[in-house]
Amino acid sequence: YILKESGAVFTFGKSKFAENIPTKFWFKNDKPLYISCGDEHTAIVTGNGKLYMFGSNNWGQLGLGTKNTINKPTCVKALKPEKVKLAACGRNHTLVYTEQGHVYAAGGNSEGQLGLGDTEERSTFRLISFFTNQYKIKQLAAGSYTSAALTEDGQLFVWGDNSEGQIGLAGEASVCVPCQVDVGKPVSWISCGYYHSALVTRDGELYTFGEPENGKLGLLPEQLKNNRVPQPVPGILERVNKVACGGGHTVALTETDVYTFGLGQYGQLGHGTFIFETSVPKAVEYLKKHKICNIACGENHTAVIADNGLMFTFGDGRHGKLGLGEENFTNQFIPTLCSNFLRFTVYLVACGGCHMLVFATPRP
Amino acid sequence: DSDEIVVGTHLGSPPKAVMPGIRIEIVSLRLHPAAEVLASEHVQQLYVEFHFPGVPLAETETPLSLRKPQSGEEIYFHFSKVILLDPEAVSTQRKRLFSMLQAEVAGQNWLQFVVGREPLPGTRGECEDVGFAYLDLREILLSGSDVLEQELEAVVSPQDHSAIGRLTVSVEAAAALRDIYWEGRRKAEE
Ligand SMILES: [Mg+2]
Ligand SMILES: [Mg+2]
Repeated sequence: YILKESGAVFTFGKSKFAENIPTKFWFKNDKPLYISCGDEHTAIVTGNGKLYMFGSNNWGQLGLGTKNTINKPTCVKALKPEKVKLAACGRNHTLVYTEQGHVYAAGGNSEGQLGLGDTEERSTFRLISFFTNQYKIKQLAAGSYTSAALTEDGQLFVWGDNSEGQIGLAGEASVCVPCQVDVGKPVSWISCGYYHSALVTRDGELYTFGEPENGKLGLLPEQLKNNRVPQPVPGILERVNKVACGGGHTVALTETDVYTFGLGQYGQLGHGTFIFETSVPKAVEYLKKHKICNIACGENHTAVIADNGLMFTFGDGRHGKLGLGEENFTNQFIPTLCSNFLRFTVYLVACGGCHMLVFATPRP
Repeated sequence: DSDEIVVGTHLGSPPKAVMPGIRIEIVSLRLHPAAEVLASEHVQQLYVEFHFPGVPLAETETPLSLRKPQSGEEIYFHFSKVILLDPEAVSTQRKRLFSMLQAEVAGQNWLQFVVGREPLPGTRGECEDVGFAYLDLREILLSGSDVLEQELEAVVSPQDHSAIGRLTVSVEAAAALRDIYWEGRRKAEE
């Protein structure tokens, strides 16, 4: 099969696209710039500033005005007058940021995760009035029922469920409008997992907060009682650049290494077949010889991209979400090269509850 | 909008044969607190395999061995294998499956799963069978229902039925077994 130079988006696992058979698609006159996966839905932002959505839609999280499952990437026409720059899919909601400086939200809202001041779900994208265009948003993140927006100048705003302290607001049970979380220095990266979150400060320090079980916060035993506020993770001596949170695990990327901690019963930590849980951040041995530049976590799986465009996946292999086979699957306990992409350069990867999307172009 | 997106044709094998296949998944394993293997220093890593007519064992064992579960712990293989049955109606595989489905003697219609001990890397020693579990294929045929995440009791050996733990498996075979059974019956009557 010959693929155009402009490449394609590849789907794996229970993507809800093409009857969940591994498939690829591409845009005729456009290309993906950013992909995000929720539990069962997916958002793709393109170079032309369009937003395409597909997947489960029980809470209206696709923002298309209906609650029907959509099994093909569908452009959100309501946002066409604006250029979409960023999107983040939570478990059952979606956040969007446009070049015009607007932040929109759609989907489930039981804990105020839409940031609209109430807890009513929405099946169309609604403007979060808090964000005027004085805030230049650098990154959006969404977890189970949580949301976060990070500004260019390092301010972090969060909203939604705080039952486990997963938005780091200590005493609040939940908030339905954006609130600032301040760790005393500018923030440069944010990730929301299912019931925990993590941030990186501009000086390269990793902080975690939320549900304390199974070591996914990477904190010392004495730190765990303060799990409702961001605390620095000890044990990573280098600067951290990025972090990704899954269902029960956390992955941190430094200049030279990929550190993982938390739950690894399916292999999602990549530490081999003898370590199924650790609260101490540990560099993934197998990735030491590669220069990793991108990381993504699904609920129980992990994907990383190396600077040479190769991709490795590990963790729960059910439904083929690791992209390693057509019909025979198994959990992977160390990073495993996705040989499907040997002749491609992988640019983007996003992992959801039980699916994975990859954007790759053929090598010249 | 639909014209803005092009969906690629499937990159894998040509469309599946109409004949329904069988999917078997070794999901997970736990050991009983009193099981001897739990305490045994000699057993550190375990794998699981199953025996299926006409399929080499190398294809039906978990590709990885996992650290032996501690008491109360569950270890997860999620090893899922699709078996495309020999389309030839007279094949040995079909004959053997048909005779398994017909057998009235207890045990002969069982699909056998074996828990194996994998020697630690760098140590000497052979793989060794430390547990056995069975699933009744005839029951799938008679009930017409696939088995999804069913816990099977694992025992010490085919002779010694002391329980060592629980093996969770899925076996999606109802449609294929029905085909084989009725085809076999038809042949027998000819
Ligand atoms: Mg072997
Ligand atoms: Mg054997």
